[in-house]
Amino acid sequence: MTHIDPLLHRVLDGESPSDDLTPPQREQFAALQSAVRLLAEAPAASVAARVMAEVRRPPRSLGHRVAQWLTERHAVTIAVRPVWSLALAAALAAIAVIPARGPGPVLGEQEGIAQFVGRFPGAKSVEVVGSFTDWRPGAVVLRDDDHDGIWRASVVLPVGEHEYMFVVDGERWITDPLAGRYLDDGFGRQNALLFVRPLAR
Amino acid sequence: MTAWRLVACLLAAAPPLTAQGGFARLAGRVPPPALTAIDSILVAAHREGLPTEPLIEKAFEGGAKGVAPDKIVLAVSTSASQLRSARALLREAGESQATDPAEVIAVAAALARGLSPELVGQLTAVLPGEPTGPALHAVADLVGHRFAEDSSVDLIVAAAQAGLRGLRFLDVAAAAVQDLQRGRSHAAALAHVTSLLPNVPPPPRPAPAAVSRARRVQPGPERP
Repeated sequence: MTHIDPLLHRVLDGESPSDDLTPPQREQFAALQSAVRLLAEAPAASVAARVMAEVRRPPRSLGHRVAQWLTERHAVTIAVRPVWSLALAAALAAIAVIPARGPGPVLGEQEGIAQFVGRFPGAKSVEVVGSFTDWRPGAVVLRDDDHDGIWRASVVLPVGEHEYMFVVDGERWITDPLAGRYLDDGFGRQNALLFVRPLAR
Repeated sequence: MTAWRLVACLLAAAPPLTAQGGFARLAGRVPPPALTAIDSILVAAHREGLPTEPLIEKAFEGGAKGVAPDKIVLAVSTSASQLRSARALLREAGESQATDPAEVIAVAAALARGLSPELVGQLTAVLPGEPTGPALHAVADLVGHRFAEDSSVDLIVAAAQAGLRGLRFLDVAAAAVQDLQRGRSHAAALAHVTSLLPNVPPPPRPAPAAVSRARRVQPGPERP
């Protein structure tokens, strides 16, 4: 180890002014000062020291770790066979295409489906009243779900001949203009005539 | 005879209310002033062996439509007359059919659609012992589209001879009407459909969505 001159030591400690130094001592003082500056600018600790400091850090809470996992980015890789991809796509398409409704009513041999459609823009309610309801209102109510003025209903009826009329807003009796087959009702109007066919399912 | 005179006659001939089977069903759905007269028509029809259900339905219909009592009575009386005529026609065609209420009702409906009794008798003779309602309505459909009565009957008779029955007669009429709408003349349409027999196209089946949406008819709420 190199011994430092006592005077130089005192100057370095700030105990004596640098004016007391001889020229060679001044050169040595300048060299020592630059060495001190270099040490001051160097990292505080080595890589090993920093790793050890990280290892010794107390563990984070579970909540903190979960929150960190949820907010960080993760690279996810899924390995799927093409045939399974196609099957999944077909299943999703089927779910989208098949209506959410159930399979519908189970029909007897002597039952069929009757569809009623009428254009009544601005109507508040439309229903079908006929021989199949004993001419009692309120049994077959049509719906206009998309508010385009076209009212629809689909009902199960006994196979055979039925007479009916539309009732709009609970008071206007209107003959179905699309029925194509009519019968005088004996009251000055015409009932539409409907034939229901069996629908084997 | 005016409606009120008819009502007065029926009221005069009405039996006691206790003997009236349809009275309870009609009450509340038919205007009270019409009840007694209608019930007397029902009692008379029952005595004659005519089906009374179409008469009760007609009374319900009149009540639902808010028709005046005298007009309801007149309509029920007219329906009874049509049933009487229908049964007479069927008796001419064959005794067994005359007892079938469904057949009497079908023929009465055909008469109500304007078919002549002669034409109805002609068709019932072609289909002895079978339901004639669809055949009669098929002819009525054709006549309603200005096909000649004789030609219409001939087409339906040809369809029957080709083996078609029941509601398939309506398909025959529908095929002829479609031909008209496509621009064929009446004669050409009849000739074309006759050449297709018995393979006339059936009507389109209801869409699956309509079937799945279908609801059963539930009795509606009573309304005053």
